[in-house]
Amino acid sequence: MPMKLLGGWLTPLAAFAMFSVVPLTGDAHGPTRQKVVEKVTINAPAAAVWGRIKNFDALKDWHPVVAESPASQGNTVGSVRSIKLKGGGELIESLEGYDDAAMKYSYRAKDGGALPVTNYTSAITVTASGNQSIVEWRGAFYRGHPGNEPPPEQNDDAAVKAITGVYQSGLANLKKLAEGG
Amino acid sequence: MLPQCTGREVAARGLCMPSSLICTLTAIALTLLSTTAAAAPFAYITNQGSNDVSVIDLASQQVVSTIGVGRSPAGVVVASRAGKVFVSNPDSRSISVIDMHDQRVVGTLVAGDGPVGIDASPDGKLLLAADWYANRLMVFDASSTEAQQAPLASIEVGRAPAGVAAHTDNNTVYVAERDDDSVAVVGVRERKVLARVKVGSHPFALCFDAVRQRLYALNVQSDDVSVIDTRMLGDTHTLKVIATVKVGKAPYGAALAQNGALLYVTNQHDDSVSVIDADSLKVLRTLSGFGYPEGVAAHGDKVYVVNWMDDNVSVLDAASGKPLRQIATGKNSRGFGAFIGAAALP
Repeated sequence: MPMKLLGGWLTPLAAFAMFSVVPLTGDAHGPTRQKVVEKVTINAPAAAVWGRIKNFDALKDWHPVVAESPASQGNTVGSVRSIKLKGGGELIESLEGYDDAAMKYSYRAKDGGALPVTNYTSAITVTASGNQSIVEWRGAFYRGHPGNEPPPEQNDDAAVKAITGVYQSGLANLKKLAEGG
Repeated sequence: MLPQCTGREVAARGLCMPSSLICTLTAIALTLLSTTAAAAPFAYITNQGSNDVSVIDLASQQVVSTIGVGRSPAGVVVASRAGKVFVSNPDSRSISVIDMHDQRVVGTLVAGDGPVGIDASPDGKLLLAADWYANRLMVFDASSTEAQQAPLASIEVGRAPAGVAAHTDNNTVYVAERDDDSVAVVGVRERKVLARVKVGSHPFALCFDAVRQRLYALNVQSDDVSVIDTRMLGDTHTLKVIATVKVGKAPYGAALAQNGALLYVTNQHDDSVSVIDADSLKVLRTLSGFGYPEGVAAHGDKVYVVNWMDDNVSVLDAASGKPLRQIATGKNSRGFGAFIGAAALP
């Protein structure tokens, strides 16, 4: 019986990767969608903070684990960002939404990258709060393993932990840079 | 646009009392109910991440209780005529039965391999559940709380059956066959699929419009709504898609509001809601400010949108779409189904 995601839709690549016959014995625990929301308050004006992250290809300039992040079409929807992580590992992401006035962009990751997730979408937003800024980074995804009995490094907890780590380390570093640290 | 009481509907207090219809009749009937000092309506929001249901009193616009259910609850249907709310728990392979008078769980039904989309026949007699993994529609006796009850019928349908919508005839059931890009018309008495219609890519949620005799199928991969004329043409049982309305990315929920004049559609990946004129099928406006919206339902002059990312419900003025307030719910709220209703009075 092919495993299917509950409540989600599969990209053709994901659908292909997930076609596997898994015996449904015991408690069926199919994948359910997970999410992570991380926020940071920065002592700097929103425009300045947005200025640091607004370019889709600027990730390497503010995220501590990213070595390279070129984007194929700049900030045009459809632009593909090819991330290389320091210490190895790759991620490919495509820009789905871009709103300079609202200081926000959103993207979708291609399955099979360095993170133990599938069907991963994410959005980052800067909001002014007086002289400060609030940066919110949030994502929705399914775990890396589609079947009933995922190995620990590909279960729901691993997925949530990995994405949380990406957001927390990125936002902490952004705060440091923006506050002149 | 008042519903005509059919021979099988009971006229009580001068009103037809339909129960769990998705869309039009629920909105109309509950509007009428609220003017005749009838039972109070509630919204039952399934919280997939906290394994519970947030019960919102629509009069006070507050959560008045939180009811623990099974694991990863998703689907919900308020079956007013049965006095029950059903919740599907795909990870427990069960359906929780909530008594609307006591507002507590009175039974848990063993239900296939992965019950997700559920609905109930308007007469309150049948509980309908699509088994996502086993490709079948399960039909249960809605009045029974016996855990191990065998379904009255188990009808094979297409692949990855998702949304379920019952017809006012209490026999016909529409099932979205997500991986087949089609909608099946199932006859419960006949115990089989009577007809099929091809829709867009990956239909998930369905919304039955009893007044216009239409079915709206939301296609999460083609980002549009297939509008199906459900009148069976003679003996051929042929359904037609009469229009396709483009909406936002990944539409996951639909509800009729304002006495059926407006169709609200949630666009999960755009964080937006499309408001469609249900007669002309033109998109009137697109509302923003939601967080992965999924379930949506209407009551009176308001629309309730469930935000999975934000763990809350956005309350909107139905006529204008203006946001009124947000009500915090549990974790990873979904509200997939007809989540508003009031117990029908005895």
